[in-house]
Amino acid sequence: MSATEAEQQVKLVSSDNVEIITERKVAERSMLIKNMIEDLGAPGEEPIPIMNVSEAVLRKVLEWCSHHKNDPAPTQDDDADSRKKTTDIEDWDQKFMQVDQEMLFEIILAANYMDIKALLDVGCKTVANMIKGKSPEEIRKTFNIQNDFTPEEEEQIRRENEWAEDR
Amino acid sequence: MSGRSTPLSSHASQRATSNHASQRASRNLSQIRRVQVNGSVLPAELIATILDYLPVPDLLHFAQVSRRLQEMVYDDSRWVQKLKQMGLWNENEARQRFEEAMKRKAEAQRAREVEEARRTGANLPGSINGTAGGGPRRHAGSVTIFDAGLEEDRYRQSLEKAQSPTLTRKRTIADGFDDLTISLNPQLNASTWNPNTALTVFATFRSVRGRARQEFSKIYGALGPLYSDLTRVKSHSDAIIFRTYRDPEQQAQILSNLKRFAQGDVAQGWHQREQRLDSMIAVFENAVLREFEQGYAAGDIDDRMHRYAHVLVTMNGGMAGVDAFISNHPIMAHNVRAGNPLDCLESVAPGHVDLNASQTFFERLAGMMVEQAAIIDRVFPPSVDVLTPFLSRLCEDIVADYLTALFDEAHVHGVETYVKAVSGTFEQALRFVASLQPTEASPSDFRDAAKTTVTRCYEKHIDLYLAEELAVFRSKSEADVRQWEREQSEQEASSDAFFMSNINRQAAKRDFLSSFRKVIMMPVTVLPAFPLSSPFAAAKPAQSIANPNAPDLDSIDTAYSRSRTPTVADSNTPNRSSTPVPAGEAPTTELAAKAAIMNSRLEGIKSLFSIEVALNITHFAKASLERAANMVRMGGKWGEEAREQCETIFVTLLYILGDRHIKTGFDKAVSHLGSYNPRDVRALRSKVANGDSGEAHAVGVEPLVTFLELVNVGDLIQQMVDVFYAQELVATKLSDRDDFLDPAVKEKKRFEQMLDERVAAGLNEGIDVLMDEVEYICASTQQAIDFNPGTDKAEKNGPGVMDIGPTTTARQVVDMISSHTSMLVGNTDKNMLDVFMQEVGLRLFGALCKHFKRQRISVDGAIKLISDINHYSAFVATLRQKPLLPYYHALRELGQIYLVHIDPPAAYFSANAQGKRASVLSNRGSSTAVQAKELATIIADTQRYHGIFPAEEVYEFAERRADWYLVKRDVERAMYGVGCIVV
Repeated sequence: MSATEAEQQVKLVSSDNVEIITERKVAERSMLIKNMIEDLGAPGEEPIPIMNVSEAVLRKVLEWCSHHKNDPAPTQDDDADSRKKTTDIEDWDQKFMQVDQEMLFEIILAANYMDIKALLDVGCKTVANMIKGKSPEEIRKTFNIQNDFTPEEEEQIRRENEWAEDR
Repeated sequence: MSGRSTPLSSHASQRATSNHASQRASRNLSQIRRVQVNGSVLPAELIATILDYLPVPDLLHFAQVSRRLQEMVYDDSRWVQKLKQMGLWNENEARQRFEEAMKRKAEAQRAREVEEARRTGANLPGSINGTAGGGPRRHAGSVTIFDAGLEEDRYRQSLEKAQSPTLTRKRTIADGFDDLTISLNPQLNASTWNPNTALTVFATFRSVRGRARQEFSKIYGALGPLYSDLTRVKSHSDAIIFRTYRDPEQQAQILSNLKRFAQGDVAQGWHQREQRLDSMIAVFENAVLREFEQGYAAGDIDDRMHRYAHVLVTMNGGMAGVDAFISNHPIMAHNVRAGNPLDCLESVAPGHVDLNASQTFFERLAGMMVEQAAIIDRVFPPSVDVLTPFLSRLCEDIVADYLTALFDEAHVHGVETYVKAVSGTFEQALRFVASLQPTEASPSDFRDAAKTTVTRCYEKHIDLYLAEELAVFRSKSEADVRQWEREQSEQEASSDAFFMSNINRQAAKRDFLSSFRKVIMMPVTVLPAFPLSSPFAAAKPAQSIANPNAPDLDSIDTAYSRSRTPTVADSNTPNRSSTPVPAGEAPTTELAAKAAIMNSRLEGIKSLFSIEVALNITHFAKASLERAANMVRMGGKWGEEAREQCETIFVTLLYILGDRHIKTGFDKAVSHLGSYNPRDVRALRSKVANGDSGEAHAVGVEPLVTFLELVNVGDLIQQMVDVFYAQELVATKLSDRDDFLDPAVKEKKRFEQMLDERVAAGLNEGIDVLMDEVEYICASTQQAIDFNPGTDKAEKNGPGVMDIGPTTTARQVVDMISSHTSMLVGNTDKNMLDVFMQEVGLRLFGALCKHFKRQRISVDGAIKLISDINHYSAFVATLRQKPLLPYYHALRELGQIYLVHIDPPAAYFSANAQGKRASVLSNRGSSTAVQAKELATIIADTQRYHGIFPAEEVYEFAERRADWYLVKRDVERAMYGVGCIVV
């Protein structure tokens, strides 16, 4: 991508019909948008609809994108070694993810929809960190999940998984 | 997407009302299934991604949250993946087990399952399909059933099958749990935790579909505590494993197991944990290694070395042990030197290398390797291949150093030394490989691998080597050619008129020849065909050359005798160079005579190109090729490169031999032919040497003879190249004769083509020259009285003794032409030869016609003429060129016009001797007019001449009758009176 292309402005339209103008380079962190621009040609003229993402979430996502716009492009073989992706979350991302749970999930969904792998990873890790070290009851509370086990069942599962408890 | 709006509101209601329905719907929409974690709906795949980041304990806490999440966590594929990361899961084994299980379950059993599923299905309202990502478990059978049957049945059935292909008995969570707790109970309790389980846990592992989590739990139960302990403790002395296990073998086994276990740890922070584990292993490894080295130093092969080698192998494959073993060897440690590379270059002649020293070097290494192979078998378990790394280290450190030092030094000594050293040591290196003894642990392709290893030492040299090899060959052969050319030009400078006239030499040669003939007459005639071909040799055209093979054999002999005895005299006395026997000193033995003749024969082409040089070049090429061919055995890319280089050498050989050497020779010969003017030469020669009348009539177009010699020798060289190609390149598989794209084959073709072209060009010129010579002979030797004896009776003894037979002129012409043409037979392309012969025949025909038209022929002379013509046509018949025959037939017929006796008209005196031998036609003594009429009939009869001669031309011939002016009127009258001819 040449410098002029990078500085091009693209117009995105959120699900609630709000136009957001951003740098092409920022927008192209999303593989969805990148592919669209490549397919459409002539970026900047046609607004690009981001159908599943509301304005608030889209702005949040673009905030992340512009912070990470100079990151190296994601490589194809990321899936090859699942251990590679389990690196720690960097500080900026950690702060960025300090949002309410709904927003967090929206971001994850948007990242998934817009195909921003790095953001999706950060989101998933954040959720994982929220789960880590909690008892089942605490997890239920955190994510507002109803316990649909009978007490006997629950006890059985607990015993069933005792092998994993740290002693 | 509807449920996405709020985290709190929709959860309960959705769950309560549309549990089954929504699931069924989502099943039908198969790929976009979603699972509610809370208000916001995250797709199952995203939840699965999140779960990937969780450590095992948290993962199982998560499973306890709700049924749905339990399904996701318990998903078999998740655990299969973990097992795969540890390198445990064997998909083939799993499939096999699965298929066996499937077989065992007959239709009846499945029916029972359906029943069971119906029954239990009611108890599991919330159970959903757990196969979200369970690729391996989705098999064709379930999908088909799922699509076909009643929706409800279908759903449960597939669920059933997917969930428990092997565990037919259980369906409820409790069932699975029972099964699990039985197997896990002993490990669950810390007090009863059995250290031995941790040692053997991987050995008892089985790949069973649907039981991946249980299998994982066994492993985790056994190793997890140790692992987390190890990653937490401060120092290795605190670690449980080092307190629990005392035996180094057990410690090694546990560490190895933990290392493997750690591969399955993908939760955050795994990196630090793995580092801790690695450092633990390193500490342990160092301790073991120290023991091993002490054992090595003490030479304690069967006890300490053996034991600790096995410990190291158990722990991490034993690379550290192998390493220590290799680097502690005296040769590797450079405590002992196997050989000094410079030995090879001491006290040898320049351009040579003493390979005995390197031979000793390789032999010493081979002995050491055999010895080490025996020790390796005693020390290391057969699962570890120690010899291969040993060998590669040996090659890298010792052999490569040795070779590099040797080659560098050899290169300083000279390029030729270098190429000899490279090729020679490579040969020895291959022998070294052949002498290696594989150990028990060596792979079956040990020898190939060893060869690769050894040849790798040569890889960095091969490029230079191949380039140098070509350069050596090129420079040597070019130097050879250049030196020869320089000598040649010196020679030419000293005798500028070398081709035109070199009287002294020629006189000497003649002297030599005559004395030679006197001394040993017989050998000359029995010796096959020596067309003495020195430019000015007054060579008697060899009559016996008819055997086309003779020149070839002859030349080969020559070649070999020359190559065996490259005399110094050849090159430094340009003028008299190859005439070893001075005039007067006739050779006294046949052999000497033969040698002399060979030399003189060669002298003819010496100024053009030298077969000796050609042989030398071929020898260089052979030497280079043999060396380079050695390197082809390196195989692979380098072997291929070496092979290409071999071809390049061959191509270069052809280039130098052909373009540089032979082509210039041919060009020179052709240009000499073109500038040849027999008259000038004759004039010059006769001026200087007219006293030698005995030889003066001996004819030979010297440049043409030279040229034909060249054709012979060129053909010889081409055959030589062909043999060379067959033996050096085809026989050694360096080149494929049938591959027409092969550069060597192409170049060889080009070479042959070049030769043929030169020959054709030369022949073209040669014909001109030959005809010039014919004309010259005719003009200079045909006596006026030959065909008109009556005019000069004074010089004749009388008509009665007149010789009936061809004149000397005819003989000379025929001899000369036949000697030249026969030289070509078998040396050039048949088609070209045919063309050449036909051209010669036609041009000879033209020349003869022209010649006869210049003669004055009497009736008596006609006999002579006819015998001449017969002689010519007999010769032409030997050329075996059918198209030529009519011409000479016509010529024969033409001779008859001179036979017709016509009585002179009455005015002329008739008292001559002709009457006695007059033609039949004139026997009746009838009048001139009648006879003239008969002649006219013969002249006008175009049938006679096969249309070769038109009547006018025959008329022109008739004009050459000696008595033409006497009878002309009568003949003309007869002709035009008869009216046969219209001009």
